[in-house]
Amino acid sequence: MKLSPKNQEPVAIIACKVLQSTLEEMLPERLRRRTHFLDYDLHRSPDRMNLKLQATIDAIEIPGRIVLGYGLCGNGICGIKAGKHTLIIPKVDDCIALLLGSRQAYMREVHAAPGTYYLSKGWLESGSHPLKEYHEYTEKYGAEDTAWIMDQQYRNYERLVLIAHNQNDLNEYRPQALEVARYCRQWGMRYEEILGSDRYIRRLTEIIEDPDKIDDEFVVVPPGSINRQELFWDCSVSAFESSKKEMGSCE
Amino acid sequence: MSELLEKIAAGIIAGNLNEVPDLVQNALDEGMGPSKILENGLVVGMNEVGKRFKLGSMFVPEVLRSARTMHAGQELLRPLLAEAGADLGGKIVLGTVQGDLHDIGKNLVGMMCEGAGFEVIDLGFNLEPEKFIEAIKTHQPSIVGMSALLTTTMRAMGHTIKAMEEAGLRDKIKVMVGGAPVDAEFAKRIGADGYGHNAASGAETAKKLAGRS
Repeated sequence: MKLSPKNQEPVAIIACKVLQSTLEEMLPERLRRRTHFLDYDLHRSPDRMNLKLQATIDAIEIPGRIVLGYGLCGNGICGIKAGKHTLIIPKVDDCIALLLGSRQAYMREVHAAPGTYYLSKGWLESGSHPLKEYHEYTEKYGAEDTAWIMDQQYRNYERLVLIAHNQNDLNEYRPQALEVARYCRQWGMRYEEILGSDRYIRRLTEIIEDPDKIDDEFVVVPPGSINRQELFWDCSVSAFESSKKEMGSCE
Repeated sequence: MSELLEKIAAGIIAGNLNEVPDLVQNALDEGMGPSKILENGLVVGMNEVGKRFKLGSMFVPEVLRSARTMHAGQELLRPLLAEAGADLGGKIVLGTVQGDLHDIGKNLVGMMCEGAGFEVIDLGFNLEPEKFIEAIKTHQPSIVGMSALLTTTMRAMGHTIKAMEEAGLRDKIKVMVGGAPVDAEFAKRIGADGYGHNAASGAETAKKLAGRS
C-alpha cells in the first residue's frame, strides 16, 4: 500500500527492550527521542503485552507511522488496534528472527533444532534465562522444589544458543552465556554460537522514514484496522482455506 | 465440610504439597465422597490457578507446584474413584505438535483428564502429523488433544487435522486444541471441535466432547 512519503508524516517507534542496544546504535538522535522501549518481561504475559502496547500506541497523539519492534510474540500483538496511526510490524513470530536476520534463517534453525533456548546480549542484560531463574526460584521455593521445577521446564531442550550481530558481541557475552550453558548441561543442552545479522533490524530503521521500502518482510496495519495473526502466516492452516498447496510448509 | 473443600482449593493454589494430601484424607475420613472432593476441592483450585495464570498473576513455577499438589491429592482419590465407577472410560490421545518441545500444559491436561476418568495416552512432544495418525489407528481414542506453545508451531495443528482428513480418520474422533497462543477463533479456523483456554478447562472440554457433561 502507498504510504505518505518520508518527512511528511510523524513517526514513532515502540520496541521491546531486548532490541534497545541494537536500535539505539542504529537510530539517529531525533528518532531515538521518538522511541519507546517496553519491558522485556511483557513477553511472559501476552495479555499484558497487548494492553501495554495498545496504551502506548493510543497515547501518541499526532496520527502518524508507528514502527513496532515486536513480532507476534505469543500472539501478544494480535488484536492491537492501529487507531489513527499506521502500524508497521516485521513479519516474524518473535525477536529471534530479528536477531538472526531473516525469517528464513529463523525457520532453518527451528527445523534444525526445535528445542533451542536463545540468548542475546539484550536477553542477558535485561532478560531472564535458566540460570537466573534457578537463583530466583531457589530463594523463593528452596533447592529441592527448584530442581524439580527447572527440570519440568527444560528437560526437553537440546541446545543453548548465543546470537549476536558481530564477533565482538559474541566474545563479550560468551562468558555469561557459558555460565548459563554449564548450568543447562544437566539436560544435555549443547552450547552453540550463531553470528546473526542486523539486516532485519536495519531494514526496520530504514522503513521508518522510507516507507517505499516496505515489502513482504513487513506487515502494515492501516488506520482503523486491527492486527491479526493471519497477516503473519505464509501458509494455509486449514482445509477450508482456498490455497491448500502449501500444506505441510509454513516457511 | 465446605470449609475443608475451600482449604483444599486454597492448598492447590498455594502449591502446598505437604498439606493437601492430609486435607484430602481428612475429607475422606469425614465421609465426603471422592468425586465431591475432586470436583469441589481439587478441580476448583486448579481452575483458579488456570485463571490466574492467564491473567499473568501466576507463573509457570507456581502452576507446576499446584499441579504437583493436585496430582498428590488425586492419587489418594484414584482407587476410590475407580471403585465408585467414576472411571467411565473413554480414551484420549494427547501430544505436542511438530517442532514444539513444550509439554507442561499438555501434561497437566493429561493429569486432569485422568482425574476425570479418561484413559490418557500421552504421545509426548515434537510429533509429526503421522504420529497422531498412527496413534488414532492403534488406540482408537474418542478424542485427540493437541498442544503448542509457539505461534510458529501452532500452525502444525491445522496441518495435522488436514492429515487426519486425508487418512479418512477425522470423523472418527473429536479434536481439541490448546496452548498459550491458541484461542477459540484459531481452533474454529482449523476445524477443531473444541478448545481449552487453560489445562483445567481442557479437561472440561474433553468431558463435553465425550458427551459426559
